[in-house]
Amino acid sequence: MTTTAAPLAPLAPPPDRGGRRPSSPARRRRRAVDVLLGAIAVLVFVCSVFPVYWMINTSLMPNNETRTLVPNFVPSTFTWRNYETVLSGAGRADFLPALANSATVTLLTVGVCLIFAFLAALAVTRFRFRGRRAFVLTILVVQMIPGEAMIISTYRVLDGWQLLNTIAGLTLVYVATVLPFTIWTLRGFVNGVPIELEEAAMIDGCSKSGAFWRVTFPLLAPGLVATGVFGFIQAWNEFLLALVVMSRPESMTLPVWLRTFQQATTTTNWAAIMAGSTLMAIPVIVFFLIVQGRMTSGLVSGAVKG
Amino acid sequence: MTIGQDVLRADRPTGRRDGGPDSGRSSRGPRGPRGSRGSRGGSGARRRAGLTPAALLVPSAVVLIVVVGYPLVTLLVMSFQEFGRAQAFGAPAPFVGFDNYVRVLTDSTFWTVLIRSLAFCAVNVAATMTLGTLLALLMQRLGRFLRLLVSVGLLLAWAMPALTAVIVWGWMFDTQFGVINHLLTVLTGTDFANHSWLIDPLSFFLVATVIITWQSVPFVAFTVYAGLTQVPDEVLEAAQLDGAGPVARFRLIVFPYLKSIFLVVTVLQVIWDLRVFTQIFALQGIGGIREQTSTIGVYIYQTSLAGGEYGTGGAIAVLLVILMLAISLYYVRATLKEDES
Amino acid sequence: MKKLAFAAMGVAAALTLAGCSGGAASSGGTGGGGGGDDAEIRVWLNGTDTPDEARDYLKTTFEDEHPGSTLTIEEQSWTGIVDKLTTSLSGSDSPDVVEVGNTQSSAFTSAGAFLDLSDEYEELGGDDLLPGFVEAGTYDGTFYAAPYYSGARLVFYKKDLYAAAGLSVPTTLDEYVANGVALAAANPGVSGIYFPGQDWYNALPFIWENGGEIATEEDGKWVGGFSSPESQAGLEQVQTVMTTASLAPKDGNETDPQVPYCAGTVAQLSAPSWVRWSILAPADADAPGCPDQEANLGVFALPGKDGGAAQVFAGGSNVAVAAKSANPDLAVDALRIMLSDEYQTILGKAGLVPAKVSLASTIGTDEAATAITEAAKNAKLTPASPRWADVEAAGILQDFFVKVAQGGDVAALAEELDARIEEILNS
Repeated sequence: MTTTAAPLAPLAPPPDRGGRRPSSPARRRRRAVDVLLGAIAVLVFVCSVFPVYWMINTSLMPNNETRTLVPNFVPSTFTWRNYETVLSGAGRADFLPALANSATVTLLTVGVCLIFAFLAALAVTRFRFRGRRAFVLTILVVQMIPGEAMIISTYRVLDGWQLLNTIAGLTLVYVATVLPFTIWTLRGFVNGVPIELEEAAMIDGCSKSGAFWRVTFPLLAPGLVATGVFGFIQAWNEFLLALVVMSRPESMTLPVWLRTFQQATTTTNWAAIMAGSTLMAIPVIVFFLIVQGRMTSGLVSGAVKG
Repeated sequence: MTIGQDVLRADRPTGRRDGGPDSGRSSRGPRGPRGSRGSRGGSGARRRAGLTPAALLVPSAVVLIVVVGYPLVTLLVMSFQEFGRAQAFGAPAPFVGFDNYVRVLTDSTFWTVLIRSLAFCAVNVAATMTLGTLLALLMQRLGRFLRLLVSVGLLLAWAMPALTAVIVWGWMFDTQFGVINHLLTVLTGTDFANHSWLIDPLSFFLVATVIITWQSVPFVAFTVYAGLTQVPDEVLEAAQLDGAGPVARFRLIVFPYLKSIFLVVTVLQVIWDLRVFTQIFALQGIGGIREQTSTIGVYIYQTSLAGGEYGTGGAIAVLLVILMLAISLYYVRATLKEDES
Repeated sequence: MKKLAFAAMGVAAALTLAGCSGGAASSGGTGGGGGGDDAEIRVWLNGTDTPDEARDYLKTTFEDEHPGSTLTIEEQSWTGIVDKLTTSLSGSDSPDVVEVGNTQSSAFTSAGAFLDLSDEYEELGGDDLLPGFVEAGTYDGTFYAAPYYSGARLVFYKKDLYAAAGLSVPTTLDEYVANGVALAAANPGVSGIYFPGQDWYNALPFIWENGGEIATEEDGKWVGGFSSPESQAGLEQVQTVMTTASLAPKDGNETDPQVPYCAGTVAQLSAPSWVRWSILAPADADAPGCPDQEANLGVFALPGKDGGAAQVFAGGSNVAVAAKSANPDLAVDALRIMLSDEYQTILGKAGLVPAKVSLASTIGTDEAATAITEAAKNAKLTPASPRWADVEAAGILQDFFVKVAQGGDVAALAEELDARIEEILNS
């Protein structure tokens, strides 16, 4: 299957033009181009990484060194104090409970969303039924609704079911937010797995569901990972809904915690804010690094078949 | 140029040259199973609908109806009501017909914000797509080590939470203690000390564009790069042997293969960039003039949540959805047509 | 709805997990006017203004008076507080007692979000309560939100720079401006008066002292006051200060004024009274100050046009009981404690202006305290319209003063601003 074709494998270098014997100036020109491309690559790396570096750099220096007229490119006094400040919550907003809330909500959102979306994607790709097109269209339209306008209504729905300040309530809202994109993308993946593969397996004696689980499902793994990552990022970063739905301090999530923490001192403690930001970014980065290989290959097949 | 087209015609699977959304499907043609066309032709190949699809759809449908559908209906109803903060606390909400819509559509602020959002969205989508594609092409040319380096850099940028990203960038662009002003002063020799990046709307949007592009280029770059690896080498080689230059190769071979990728990614970017909220909202908290920098997402927030005019906010939201539908109409139609098969 | 709700509960149950916090059944005390013995009262306090001593006092006193009940203080951040109050106060999981910015309170009093406190008025302090704040908490003749505390604005200055320039503490507003311009001219790289563009609170006294108003109500319609000749005179002064005496970022906000102050680039700045403690914070603290400057730090109340204290903006808070509180009686009891002399004295000692006029002396008698008391006497509020909070939320005042700081045409800008204000207040 092409989806599993390792996308990071290099393309064979393009052969020289027209089979002409490479002359020495041409080779030199090629080397110059390679050096140039290498330089651009390094520049891209620096530009992408610098903000991340700057965040970590600031988080490792005492706050009174952050506001100097000539910025410190490395901490002149290395300290973990900011992380201690953050982890102790500066006596106001506790980090660890917020981390626990965020992690629970995010993982649940991703899990539930993938299962639901997977089933729905199967339905719209493997079956024909009335209302299928309407469903597909709805999924697209739902992605366009600006969430800021729906907060009051969403709040009331949750309130009606006593789901305010519960992990279940926030998860439910997040699942609904992420679900349309997930179904949309997974639909492309399932479409990409030819039904003949399953039929062949059935001829070989597999049951219908057996054929599905043994043949089709493994081929969908990259797609599930790719869409899962999106759900993860969305749920991990969402601020506004979390602010109003999780109104009790003990049910705070990380983005809300970061904002509260920002305000917990009358004066801005940049170093500690950067430490908090770093702590909030780490889980996402770790998650990315774990799944990245599968994700990139997954993304493309989803997009191609979408 | 004809050479390239010949190559194209020769190597691509039959009958798919008409473009459209399924031209991308053919990209797995050379390597993937060829028979998919037959299977999609007749609906007989698909399983007959019994109760199974309904059962499969129930979980998603229930969640969507309950958490999106119901509030959405409320929003629609609200957009025809006088619905302010008092109504949020239980006062009766009188129906006012199209009053909210009329008020929004005759408000010059709405049009300014809308046009600003569209321009901002266009610039960001163009920048993101161009840079992302160029980076993908670059990664293709790089050696193993440099490619890994670029990938790691992009991955880090991609993984940064949006709120965190704005805080960090805002800190870097800080008027008095920002590292950017310092670097520019050192590098250009011009005095950038105390230069305020957010006070001028154009400069504000430049900063916003930098942040958003920084975060969304990786997605495009990785997707396009992965797509590039699926362009069969033999085709490219053949084109090269026929004397097609790099630009012609991209235009005539690579682009058609990646067309559906570009389409999907662009539509997603349009939706995301048009709705952009977090980055602009957080940047406005740092500096700048709100009135001159609000985009439609922030405007909806200001009207409905901050301003307490939920009815008007609802009307703006409805108008925005209609606008997005119009923009992505081509994509929607193509998708539905394909789905019809 | 019932059926839908049932279905949703099923979904929710499917998602159920460990660790759901407290949840919706917010208090054990079952309705019926409250008074249940095992009730939980939730008090929302915003930011860090309320000192810990006061929080402890509130909790202990309440729990002593109501054995079995608990009182929890939940700290909220000022950012997004209006959004959060709008949703939370209208829902079933409402907090019982909430603090709200005095300029925001009318948005909620007019919407019916708070419990009617008219019967408690006398007991809470009656006419001893800060009049401006009582007005802010009253809607249509009904008293909904009691004053909580008021902030005072002071001018901080460097005594050595004053001495070097041969200046003395100003006695009128014009002198204050002149001093600022002179200090800036005499000390290159130093703000004579530190005045960031978004700091509209500090611009208001200039308008009021010159006889202008933000907006006035005429025959039931609000009319913006920025383009009146009096306001224009004040705004010209603001622009002079911002463009010739201040080096603060033109689009900066008023947070962290101690940073430039301690960096030595500020000669005078007008700020809330607690900024004194930010300036005097230890040099190696996470939020460093410059305690070595203590002897050099002078304080005075912003002088008025004709001497005396200027009419300054009275930032501060009101407290109210949520209309949806499950235990309104207990909540009112908690609110009574917050307005008790003991509690308000704690606030006064922390440098906040107490909610009762008779307690003003609790702030102390040193130079700063005298200045605070003096400034508080002449404090003034923003227009008493339920829509005023929306004017603030729209950020148009910040926008306006940023443009003024940039040297924009004050008359034209003011006309634009008035139109926007009228549009919002009269809608």
